Amino acid sequence: MITGWSEEHDQLREVVRRFLLEKSNPERVRELADGGAAGDPAVWRQMAEQLGLQGLAVPEQYGGTGMGPVELGVVMEELGRALYVGPYFSTVALAAQALTACADTTAQAAFLPRIADGSLTATVAVSDTDLGFDTTDVATTAERGGGAEWTVSGTKRYVVDGGTAGLILVAARIGDEVGLFAVDADQSGVRATPVETLDITRAVASVEFTDAAATRIDTGDADAIARAGDLATAAFAAEQIGGASAALDMTVEYAKIRVQFERPIGSFQAIKHRCADLLVQIESGRSAAFYAAALLADGDPEGAIATSAAAAWCATAYAKSSRENVQFHGGIGYTWECDAHLYLRRATVSTIVLGAPTAHRVRIADLMEV
Amino acid sequence: MAQQTTSVDHDAETDDEFRARIRRWFAENAPGRRPRDPNERKAWVRAFHASMYDARMTGPSWPVEYGGMGLSFARQVIYQEEAARARVPSPLGTGLGIVAPTIIKYGTPEQRERWLGPMLRQDLIWCQGYSEPGAGSDLPALRTTARREGDMYIVNGQKVWTTHGSDADVFFTLVRTGTQESRQKGITYLIIDADSPGITVRPLRDITGAAHFAEVFFDDVEVPVDNRIGEENEGWPLVRTSLGHERAAGAMNQATNYRRILDELIDLVRERGLGSDLIIRDRIADFEIRVRLMKYNASRVINDIIVRGEPGAASSVSRLFITMFEQELHEFAVEMLGADGIVTRGSDLAVQKGRWLMGFIATRASTIGAGTSEIQRNTIAEQVLGLPRDPAMPAR
Ligand SMILES: Cc1cc2nc3c(=O)[nH]c(=O)nc-3n(C[C@H](O)[C@H](O)[C@H](O)COP(=O)(O)OP(=O)(O)OC[C@H]3O[C@@H](n4cnc5c(N)ncnc54)[C@H](O)[C@@H]3O)c2cc1C
Repeated sequence: MITGWSEEHDQLREVVRRFLLEKSNPERVRELADGGAAGDPAVWRQMAEQLGLQGLAVPEQYGGTGMGPVELGVVMEELGRALYVGPYFSTVALAAQALTACADTTAQAAFLPRIADGSLTATVAVSDTDLGFDTTDVATTAERGGGAEWTVSGTKRYVVDGGTAGLILVAARIGDEVGLFAVDADQSGVRATPVETLDITRAVASVEFTDAAATRIDTGDADAIARAGDLATAAFAAEQIGGASAALDMTVEYAKIRVQFERPIGSFQAIKHRCADLLVQIESGRSAAFYAAALLADGDPEGAIATSAAAAWCATAYAKSSRENVQFHGGIGYTWECDAHLYLRRATVSTIVLGAPTAHRVRIADLMEV
Repeated sequence: MAQQTTSVDHDAETDDEFRARIRRWFAENAPGRRPRDPNERKAWVRAFHASMYDARMTGPSWPVEYGGMGLSFARQVIYQEEAARARVPSPLGTGLGIVAPTIIKYGTPEQRERWLGPMLRQDLIWCQGYSEPGAGSDLPALRTTARREGDMYIVNGQKVWTTHGSDADVFFTLVRTGTQESRQKGITYLIIDADSPGITVRPLRDITGAAHFAEVFFDDVEVPVDNRIGEENEGWPLVRTSLGHERAAGAMNQATNYRRILDELIDLVRERGLGSDLIIRDRIADFEIRVRLMKYNASRVINDIIVRGEPGAASSVSRLFITMFEQELHEFAVEMLGADGIVTRGSDLAVQKGRWLMGFIATRASTIGAGTSEIQRNTIAEQVLGLPRDPAMPAR
C-alpha cells in the first residue's frame, strides 16, 4: 500500500528549501530571468556536489542516489515554489528520467553519470510542434549513415532549455516507427533559436536539426516514451503545485498586512473564501502529484490516469492561484516590481507544458473507456 | 480527545491477523438484508449495533473502559475498511462522534458510566439539539433558556432542524443560562431525556418531501443538574470537542462510496451512447480526477496521522472538497439525463428510481448542515491560512 511522505522526505524538503532561500530568492530570479533564464552555473554545481540533486533519480550504478519519482517530486515542488531558474526540469525530470525509462544501458552509462555529477545538461524533444510527448506529432526524420551511425533532420518548435542543453534526446521517425535519438547539441547540424514565451524564468528554444549526427537509444518496449512522458509529467505537476502554494502564501501574507477600510483586507470574506478555495485545490493537488509519483514508482498500472489527473488538476490550480495573487495585490500586483507576475508567467506557460488540462482529461476519458 | 493506543487484547496480533479476525467476525455475524420497512429497519440497525457492542466489535476509536475497542489509528483504518466491506449500517442518531468525546473529556465518572455504553450499544438514540430558528451559523445567539431551581434546570425554548429528532431518546443541547447578551459566555451544555414532560417534537418536512428532521419545543421541562456537562455558563468550548481522528479514518469510506457511484454514472453515460460527446467526456474526466483526489487526500491524511501524529492541511480541506464534488456530480447527472432526469422516484419513467434527482436534492444539505460552506471557508482561512479574524465572529 502506498502511504505518503515520510520523515526522510520532510528532511529532503527542508534541505532543498533552505538552499533555495539563499540561492533562488526573488532578486536572483529576476537577474537570471534578465540573463535569458539559462541559470547560474555555480548554483548548478552546488546542487550536484553538495546536495546531489541532479543524481536523485539516477540509479546508483550510474553515480546517482537511486531515489525515485517521489523524491524528485519533493525537490520539484520546492524548485517551483522558489521559481528556480536553471535546467533542472529539463535535465533531470525530462532527460535523466527518459534515459532510465529506456532499456539502453550503453546510453545510460554514457550520459547518466555526467548528468548526476552536474557536468552535463540535457533535454528532451518529442513533439515537433508542442512541449509534449505526443509521438504522433513527429515529422522529424532519422536516417542511417552519413558519416555517423544515424542523422536526424527536422525542427522541434518548442524545446525547454533547448538553447543550452549539452544533450538533446530527440524523437524522430524511421519509416512508420518513432525512435529516440541522442544528439550532441554541440555540432554544426544543430541550431537553436530562443523562443520568447510569457515565462521569462524558463528558457525555451526552437531547435533545427540538419543531418545532425545521432545515436539511437534502445527504448526497449514500445511504451518507453510514454512512460518517460508520465514520469516527467508527474514531476512537473509537483513543480506546479509548489508554485501554486507559493502564490497563495504570497496572497495570504499580503492580506494580513494591507489595511483598507480600517481592517486588514484578509478579514474580508471576499478574499478569505477565495483563499480557502485555493487551499482546497492546492492541497488536493499535492495529494495528486504525490500519488502520481508514487504509483509510477511502483509501476502500478493506475499510474497513467493518476499522472494525467495530477497534470490537469495542478496546472489549473497554479493558473488560478497565480491569477488571484495578482488580483489580491491590487494595483501593486500589476506592477513589474511585485513578484506576482513572475508566478503568473510561470503558471500560464506551465499550463501547456506537457499537455494542457483539456488534453489530459481527454486522455483520462480514453483510458477510462468512457 | 487523546488518541487511545492501548489495544489490550489486540497487542499480540499483527495488522493482517487483526484484519482477518475482524473480517471473519463480520462474515459470521453479517447483519443480513436491510429491511424495507422503516421501523423494522431501525430495529435491525439497533440489534446489529448491540451485537457488535456485546462482542466488543464496535467503537474502534473509543476507550476500552467505555465499551470501545481502543484501537490505534492504523487499526481504526483497517476496521473502517472492513466495516465498509461488510456494509455495516451506520448507527442511528446524530453526532455520536461529537457528544461521546465531549462526555469522555468533560463528563463525570457517573455520566460516562450512565451514557457512553448505552450510546454505543444503541440502547439510546442521541440527537443534536444545537440550532434554533434564530441561531444557526450564529450559534451564540441561541435563546432556549435554562433557569436553575434547586437540583433542576427549567428549560424553555425551541430547537429546529434536529435530525432524526422524532427517534430521539436523548438530546444533547446548548441552552442559555446567562443573560441574553452574554452570547457564548452564558451557554451551558445540557443532556435532556426526550421523554421528559413538556417536550413536544414536531416532524419537519424537508426539501425531499420526507421528514428527516424535526422541531423540538421545550415548555418548562425539568432537567436534573446532574445532566449538565461541565460547568454552568461554560458550555461553549465543549461545542468543538470531537473524536480526534475519527473523521479521517472514515473519509476513505466516502471516497470508496463515490468511486462506486461515479462508476455507475459512467455506465449510464455508455448505456445512453453519450460517451462520444466531448463535453460529457470532459466532465466525466473531471469527476474521475476528483474521485481519485478524494481517495488520495484521505490516504494522505491517514499517513500524516500515522507518521506525524496529526492530520495536516489535507484534512481541513477534504470536507469542502467532497461537498463540492457531490453536488456537482448530481447536478451533472440530472442535466445529462435531460427530461428523464427530472422525473421523481415514484414515476415509472424515473431512471434508476430517480436516484440522481434524489441525490441532487439531498446533497443541497451538504453545504448547509454541520456548518455551512461559508463558515467552513472562514474557518480554513482563519485557522489554516492564519488570515485575520472577522471582527464580527465569535472565537470558538
Ligand atoms: C439536513 C440538515 C440537518 C441538520 N441537522 C441538525 C441537527 O441534527 N442538529 C442541529 O442542531 N442542527 C442541524 N441542522 C442545522 C444546521 O446546523 C444549520 O442549518 C446550519 O448551521 C446553518 O444555519 P442556518 O440554517 O441558520 O443558516 P444561516 O446561519 O442563517 O445562514 C444562511 C446563509 O448565510 C450564510 N452565512 C451565515 N453566517 C455567515 C457568515 N458569518 N459569513 C458568511 N456567510 C454566512 C450561510 O453560509 C448561509 O448561506 C441541520 C441542517 C440541515 C440542512
